[in-house]
Amino acid sequence: MAMSGGVDSSVAAALLVEQGHDVVGVTMKTFCYSETPDHSKTCCGLDGISDAKRVTSALGIPHYVFDVEEAFDRDVIDDFVTQYAEGKTPNPCVRCNGYTKFRDLLSRGRSLGCDLIASGHYVQIEHTHSQSRILRGQDKQKDQSYFLWALPDEMLKSLLFPIGNLTKEQVREHAHAQGLVNANKPESQEICFVPTGNYRDLLRERLGKVHPALQPGYLVRRSGEIVGEHNGYAGFTIGQRKGLGGGSSEPMFVLSINPNTKEVIVGTRAELFDDIVIISGLNWLGGPIEEGATTLVQLRYRAPAVSALVSHEEDQVILKLQEAQPAVTPGQSAVLFDQENRCLIGGGTIASAHSSD
Amino acid sequence: MKAVYLDHAATTPIRNEVREAMEPYLSESFGNPSSLHRWGREASAALENARATVAEALSVSPKEIYFTRGGTESDNLAVLGCCKFMETHKKQLTLVVSAIEHSAILDPAKLVTEWQGVELVTLPVSQDGVLDQEPLKLALESGPTVVSLLWVNNETGLVFPVAEISGLVNELGGTMHTDAVQAVGKIPVNVRETSIHLLTASGHKIYGPKGTGILFVRSGVDLVPLVHGGGQEQTLRAGTEDVAGAVGFACSLQLAVEEQQQSCKRLTELRSVLERSLLELIPGLSINLQDANRASHISSIAIDDVDGEDLLAALDLEGIAASGGSACESGSTQTSHVITALYGEEHSAATVRFSLGRETTEHDIEQTILKLTSIVTRLRNLGVAS
Repeated sequence: MAMSGGVDSSVAAALLVEQGHDVVGVTMKTFCYSETPDHSKTCCGLDGISDAKRVTSALGIPHYVFDVEEAFDRDVIDDFVTQYAEGKTPNPCVRCNGYTKFRDLLSRGRSLGCDLIASGHYVQIEHTHSQSRILRGQDKQKDQSYFLWALPDEMLKSLLFPIGNLTKEQVREHAHAQGLVNANKPESQEICFVPTGNYRDLLRERLGKVHPALQPGYLVRRSGEIVGEHNGYAGFTIGQRKGLGGGSSEPMFVLSINPNTKEVIVGTRAELFDDIVIISGLNWLGGPIEEGATTLVQLRYRAPAVSALVSHEEDQVILKLQEAQPAVTPGQSAVLFDQENRCLIGGGTIASAHSSD
Repeated sequence: MKAVYLDHAATTPIRNEVREAMEPYLSESFGNPSSLHRWGREASAALENARATVAEALSVSPKEIYFTRGGTESDNLAVLGCCKFMETHKKQLTLVVSAIEHSAILDPAKLVTEWQGVELVTLPVSQDGVLDQEPLKLALESGPTVVSLLWVNNETGLVFPVAEISGLVNELGGTMHTDAVQAVGKIPVNVRETSIHLLTASGHKIYGPKGTGILFVRSGVDLVPLVHGGGQEQTLRAGTEDVAGAVGFACSLQLAVEEQQQSCKRLTELRSVLERSLLELIPGLSINLQDANRASHISSIAIDDVDGEDLLAALDLEGIAASGGSACESGSTQTSHVITALYGEEHSAATVRFSLGRETTEHDIEQTILKLTSIVTRLRNLGVAS
């Protein structure tokens, strides 16, 4: 059972114990806070780790902390920095789940003699004799299937998501009823390795101040007209309205980023809509979908899934959206669901997007 | 399944005699030793009796014993207090430590190097456990020097020739501290027969209470205190004394020293059964510093082709408590600086430290041999499969 020290994984562990499973709690130490400006969260005194220890002790199950800092740094933080340097907006939680957390959990679990791996994600899993499928969580507000598309398909049969059929409210109630120490702990929102919330500090540290992503450049219209200046394209994401200055008759939004020229291309809201989305680094859960089939795609966390036509081109997939969507952002995940918008069937990273008009 | 505790170098349970000796000072005899009334006198007498007991066990004088709140505090007081005193009186100072000191020495030592005029010299230790004393001699000949060396290394059991080195240090005008936390009760420690100036001991490693310890300060050695206040412990460690803790510490030390010889004989036998069997049963296994002079209670084992974190967790799930290097507060094990110092950065074998104690039985050792053998086999098979 992956334990972050938060209320979700704690309740998930409690449920597994109730159901009679022989549970081992594991916390992955991904990141050492002692090297960040936020010294209060030192790695050895991490709130998460001490809360996980208190909860597992109350549940009467063993708990271990495994150090995955090196792999996390390489697979998640480095990728995060590289993507920003390329003018994209990365999704580190997807990387972490797909590359670090679950793979490591599974191998650790096997070493400890465990048959199944559980986590406190708000998703459901359906195991039949022939296959295992990830379904959206019962709580539509909390559903986290968006973050799990990169899991290796063969891993699904070993997974359990004990709180996937509960709402956040029910999870809290359960935590209170069990008297869990972290029942009232607030949600964590920020990226775990950017505790200050300012990822530009991290970019400066890893890329160096002189990297083009952190150098001044121009704000330009699609026509090439220069409308302003910015102090580093890494500070921008598609659809962003803030930080573009005023002066135009209509509100301006970031349309795209060109790392080669250091230009941030801006335009009106109407220009923000794209209907052709190219995705790469695909991962299929239960096999690829056919050429010309219709699927539902979710283009960012908490966005509604929209209908799209699928065509394959070498190792990429081109999606033709039925309705153009605003701010389709390279680096974010395009996550595919079945027609009922219930079952996760795969996903990829958005490479680029444009309008067919 | 009976649990097997083989982590006595991490901590030990309080023994009954110690608990009973402490009991009155946790209840009816609760006075403050500084008070002039009956309660105060009672507490003060208990504290001074405890001091006398400790002094006798170490063959030193009671006025040379200072109670602290544990081994780490004593180490800090010794290193920081001694260097601070010398720094304020002299221009140049060299602090000499070994590469395999406890972090309670290494961290304050690092701090000291930020002070002006203080130079840190770290003595390397060979793969056979031999301490390189050449840089120490050079430092001593070049000027005022403070030396801090573990008497017994907490991760491997390696014994440094501290008594002998203290003679050299004293002869050349240096000041010698030793962290004897893993030495008292484990090997003969007769301080009077050495030239040690400062010595650290801790209660909870010898069946005494946690948060108790002493620093022996030879008469005539000056230290600057770290904790200031009410002037307790001859102003070297302010704060109302933990009377029950001091009484418990004294009792545990007295018993540990009394039983040292007998316990050493028993643990040596048990450990040799453990090590012989493991070497025979598990290929790719070796004993760290096997042929060096080691204290009898620690066995540090290197195992190829398994992950140390997996191994310790799997042992725990089988009811066997051991440890890797020094565990950090989170419980996550990090590569030990001691193993790295001895064997280099490339050393990839998993390290498991078994440390034996009073309640360790032959049966415990048999269980450990059995379980460790099957776990290593299982983990290696998984490793091959993946």
